[in-house]
Amino acid sequence: MADYNFRSFRILVVDDSASIRQLVHSTLDIIGVGHVEVAAHGGEAVEMIKKSAKPLSNRLMQPGGSSFDIIMTNMDMPTVDGMMLLRWIRRHEESPDRFLPVIMVSSYADPAKVRDARDAGMTEFVAKPFTISSICSRLISAIERPRQFVQTSGYFGPDRRRRDLPYDGDNRRFLADDSPEVEIISD
Amino acid sequence: MTDGTDSNGTEAEAVGGKIRFYRFSNRLRPKTGVPPGATARISPEALQKAQVAIDDMAEDYPDWAIGHVDLLAERHKRLVFSPESRPEHYKEIHRIAHDMKGQGGTFGYPLVSTIAEALYRLTATNAKYTDAEVEIVKAHIDSIRIVLQTREKDPESVTGKRVQRALEAVIRKLR
Repeated sequence: MADYNFRSFRILVVDDSASIRQLVHSTLDIIGVGHVEVAAHGGEAVEMIKKSAKPLSNRLMQPGGSSFDIIMTNMDMPTVDGMMLLRWIRRHEESPDRFLPVIMVSSYADPAKVRDARDAGMTEFVAKPFTISSICSRLISAIERPRQFVQTSGYFGPDRRRRDLPYDGDNRRFLADDSPEVEIISD
Repeated sequence: MTDGTDSNGTEAEAVGGKIRFYRFSNRLRPKTGVPPGATARISPEALQKAQVAIDDMAEDYPDWAIGHVDLLAERHKRLVFSPESRPEHYKEIHRIAHDMKGQGGTFGYPLVSTIAEALYRLTATNAKYTDAEVEIVKAHIDSIRIVLQTREKDPESVTGKRVQRALEAVIRKLR
């Protein structure tokens, strides 16, 4: 089995706790991530992401507009928290890459908080206290299993339906790829 | 098929009554150097090394976490001496407790996380700010301090259980 090589990856770690920043930084460093950068809060991260923009004039709805590959952010931070950062990445016109994978890290593991982050467009969720294996498994999931992005009037982010599970009640899943309301955008 | 160009990226303009599915090729996997279709893993040696790094940080954790406890104790003093500003100090205690809740388990001190979580809940928006509650806040802070000073990692140890029982007794008495 081959080993992943993360040498060309650039990951931004956002956490207000210096110890957690150091911990995640060290972990990513040791597993071979080539470029790990840190920010102490969402506002600092926004500035760093803006500066990471590649020259992709007028192509905001394409992935790859930022030189960061993945953002790993704490959810709860003073001033600009992880949710605000996520919303900025997904919705703001100055965001260079609205498709950036965002791994949300939080000690709020209650389902309502996880749902909030999911509905704001997070890619993966890591509950604190985390372990090496929980960080690495979400990282691999973001790399190996990217989901299609969905854009409706109220949502923009990775497809929130990871699996096609059975459900009770009427079928409200009307749309297919060839439905007139659906537009498929691909590269 | 379109290129998905969106002149200003605003939500309202982008949709126009449609649902869009963006299906782009995976940009990240090719960067890992793993051939298409092949399975891969993070090197077990690297994982082991990362674990050692965490363990090293965990060794120092009680020393610097005591700094957080000192901040909590300082806020508790203000709760006692300035009852009129309790909501403000509760908010800060709530924030520090949240931080400690996340750190404790990560650095091998689950009991710190457990007590910090209880303190976090106690100082949430439904807090009562009574004198009795302020005493319970203090009991939580003292308990975390004991766990860190004794470097007690196991909630089921004699010390671990003693700390939990003492805290429960204070809560029962004051509620």
